[in-house]
Amino acid sequence: MRNIRFDKITKHYQGDLILDKLSLEIPGGAFFALLGPSGSGKTTLLRLIAGLEEADSGSIFLGDSDITHMPIYKRRVNTVFQNYALFPHMDVFDNVAYSLSIRNIPKDIIKEKVIKILKTVDLDKHIYKSIHNLSGGQKQRVALARAIINEPDVLLLDEPLAALDLKLREKMLIELIDLQATLKTTFVYVTHDQFEALTVADHMAIMNHDGEIEQVGTPKEIYEFPVSTFVAAFVGTTNLLKGVLHIAGEQFHVEFSGLGMFEVVGSKEKEWMRNGNTIFVSLRPEKIDISKTPMTGFSNGLEGIVQSIVYHGRSTQYNVQLKNGEIVQVFEQNEEHFPQEIIDYDDPVFLYWQKENVVLLEK
Amino acid sequence: MKIKENINNFITDNASFIFSVPAVLWQVLFLYVPFFFVLYTSFKRVTDSFGFDLTCDNYRAVLSSPYFYIIARSAFIASGVTFLCLICAYPLAYFLALKVDRRWKNVLLFLLTLPFWTNFLIQIYSWVFVLDHNGLINMVLLKVGFIQEPLHMINNMGAVFFVMLYYYLPFMIMPLYSILEKIQHDLLEASMDLGATHWQTFRRITVPLSMAGIKTGVFLVFVPAFGEFVIPSVIGGGHHMLVGSLISHYFLVVRDNQLGAAFTIVSGFVLLVCALLFNWLCVVPSQQVQKELAQ
Repeated sequence: MRNIRFDKITKHYQGDLILDKLSLEIPGGAFFALLGPSGSGKTTLLRLIAGLEEADSGSIFLGDSDITHMPIYKRRVNTVFQNYALFPHMDVFDNVAYSLSIRNIPKDIIKEKVIKILKTVDLDKHIYKSIHNLSGGQKQRVALARAIINEPDVLLLDEPLAALDLKLREKMLIELIDLQATLKTTFVYVTHDQFEALTVADHMAIMNHDGEIEQVGTPKEIYEFPVSTFVAAFVGTTNLLKGVLHIAGEQFHVEFSGLGMFEVVGSKEKEWMRNGNTIFVSLRPEKIDISKTPMTGFSNGLEGIVQSIVYHGRSTQYNVQLKNGEIVQVFEQNEEHFPQEIIDYDDPVFLYWQKENVVLLEK
Repeated sequence: MKIKENINNFITDNASFIFSVPAVLWQVLFLYVPFFFVLYTSFKRVTDSFGFDLTCDNYRAVLSSPYFYIIARSAFIASGVTFLCLICAYPLAYFLALKVDRRWKNVLLFLLTLPFWTNFLIQIYSWVFVLDHNGLINMVLLKVGFIQEPLHMINNMGAVFFVMLYYYLPFMIMPLYSILEKIQHDLLEASMDLGATHWQTFRRITVPLSMAGIKTGVFLVFVPAFGEFVIPSVIGGGHHMLVGSLISHYFLVVRDNQLGAAFTIVSGFVLLVCALLFNWLCVVPSQQVQKELAQ
């Protein structure tokens, strides 16, 4: 499995700087997600691997070979396009066979391969159907089959599920994971949907609005230990509270204005964790316990008034207004049909969390 | 009240039929009826002033006419003009549709339609002033000293061919442009991504997807070029007739309506055969490719 390595890639598009000296390594054989808001340059990064765009400066390596200026049709990289880009004048078979048929491969081998690949994507009943008579999910599978039939080193997926409905999307995500596990090809999956990225990826990179990589890691690392407020807020939901750090010996506290001091876990090795510095605290809504009666055993607690309630089915979201006017979101699992304690609008509540479950952020 | 409602219902239920009536009437009155008259005239006996004494003599006269070869010549010239138009127009339309920046596109399209702002006859006559013995080209070439004698560039078949090419080129470019512009760029990218070179992408994706435009362009050029009679008479000096000139000659000069009508029907038939042949030519290769892959 060959790694993909970007080395100080710069790319302008119509006069705008999209990527500025970006470096990134995508491990070979990984299911790698590139997650970022629209306009973050994640698609540009994908197109650079495919060869659909050429970098202004810097280089791209696939394993040890420099593919920066390699023509697109010579790269062993295939793409599943956002709108599938199926050839409308061909049927399912011809679309899937395309990459083989232009290589003058004998017809019986082509046919054998196409049927085999269509079986793996569960489309063998629709071999000679016209593209126009397929459902969205089936088109998606044709695009997938067409891209993997040539056994590429890297499969690029550009928001491949954006046009599908939620149920089908969840199903396809699982299928993609299985497919990647079978093929062991490097998958690079571009999306702006953090749910998709967290679901499929074993490694992921978060890009910000300026086309910079904010963080690279496993989904769990990124969700639990974001390195910036951008990552914390973009991946999942979080409460970002601004406070001042107080360090006394080995004890770290954060003071939120109007709320008092709260215990946190800090480290003196970090440059920005100095007494008196202003920092951010990321507190995930599901890591807070909410109760109408006081509880013990938590390192931190707060009081507030329930301002609004959003029922999500599996969980309920409470928006709680604190004494200083800030709103904190809390998720509670709906474990019981008839909970012992019913929290309603305008109820005074207590919020609790453990100091280990918050993340301190510099910016 | 009830009647009004019924009428309203009738109109909404049959809206598509009702609104198509004027167009159908127009077509029947100005296409089918005249065509029927031409057909009728072509079978009419010369001596018979008004009646139903029908005969095939006119057709026999056409087939044995010394001018019959003009139909073949028209088909040949029209095919040549159409083919050259396609060869010249395709790269132009391709460039315009896929390579030119959006800002320049409209300017170039405007330039392309500019000839249509001038009357057809004026366009053709201007070529006389360019190609004539003391026309623009000869004048310049003589002045520069490139030639001693003026070149004979007019009143020959080559000039007719050239001016027809000039005149019909935009009719080929327009349909090609409009269909090439609709081709989604990601299809071409997908083809290259799957390992096809530029040329393979062009041959397997671009050309098949623009086939409808090619067909439209070919018919838009071939049909009028086949019946063209102004360009041959102005540029060809009347010595190099095409079938259009021949038919108008029979109707307007010789005043032999029967023979003119028979010539019209025969040349129409030739046109139809050519069209069917071309249609078949377009269908066969795409089916061939599909069959090959399906086996």
